[in-house]
Amino acid sequence: MKKTILEFIRRGLIACGFGPLVLVVLYLILQSQCDMHTVSVNEACIGIVSLSVLSFIAGGINVIYQIERLPLTAAIFIHGFVLYVFYLGTYILNGWLADGATPILVFTGVFTVGYPAIWAIIYSITRRNTAKLNEKLKMKQENAKKTSST
Amino acid sequence: MKYTLIIDKNAKEEIIAIVHAPSSLTEQIENLVCSFDGMDYIIGYQDDEMQKLTFEEIECVTIIKRKVIAIDTNGNQYRIPDRLRDLEAVLPSYFIRINKSTLANEHRILKFNTAFSGGVDAVFKCGYREYVSRRCFSEIKRRYEGI
Repeated sequence: MKKTILEFIRRGLIACGFGPLVLVVLYLILQSQCDMHTVSVNEACIGIVSLSVLSFIAGGINVIYQIERLPLTAAIFIHGFVLYVFYLGTYILNGWLADGATPILVFTGVFTVGYPAIWAIIYSITRRNTAKLNEKLKMKQENAKKTSST
Repeated sequence: MKYTLIIDKNAKEEIIAIVHAPSSLTEQIENLVCSFDGMDYIIGYQDDEMQKLTFEEIECVTIIKRKVIAIDTNGNQYRIPDRLRDLEAVLPSYFIRINKSTLANEHRILKFNTAFSGGVDAVFKCGYREYVSRRCFSEIKRRYEGI
């Protein structure tokens, strides 16, 4: 567990440097698309800090796929949920989502539709692979029986 | 290439390989035969009692509460004083790694089962279940590819 946390921090620290760079890209997009030319000190600070935190989390949370005990689907769900919470939080904090519940619902809808779809795909692939493996296991056990009775 | 195994308790044990030329296979056989000391069991402890566990009667060797435990065909658990890594070198090739802390007797796996969470469990004939890690699952798949 301690190793996982340390790895989370290591990956997070590597990724968090990219936060302000992402913010620069976002500001440039907002400038060209929304005619936004000035940003207050407060907005800039919130933007830099929140994007750094988001990058730290997004980079660090990948460690979940390294936890051997955790099934892939569970790892995907945790990964997705954590990203959802932090992305949504960052968007709201920086005022990048329009007021009202609709933008949040749209954002949530995309996540809630996307993740079960991913789960269903992974589950069916795993089931198919397991069935194949069981067939081969059976064959191997039969071969071993035949060999030992020869 | 043909493979024949003759089990005869009265005959002298020897391994003869008939090949056209020495190869990596003959080298592997030679190393295997030379390093084999005839031991086909490990010693396990249960309530301070020592028990000889033949390889065939072990379902799996796993780590439970930081101790190396062998589980036999009846589901009994025995503490093994050796490390899992050392056991891996001693146990025959039909003991396969199914996760970082479990070696499973391939002959005693009843089936692999897909869990609802998307993970895979190995179900043993004694009823014991142990998860199969994604990395080991891929390795087992590769191992069975030739069948």
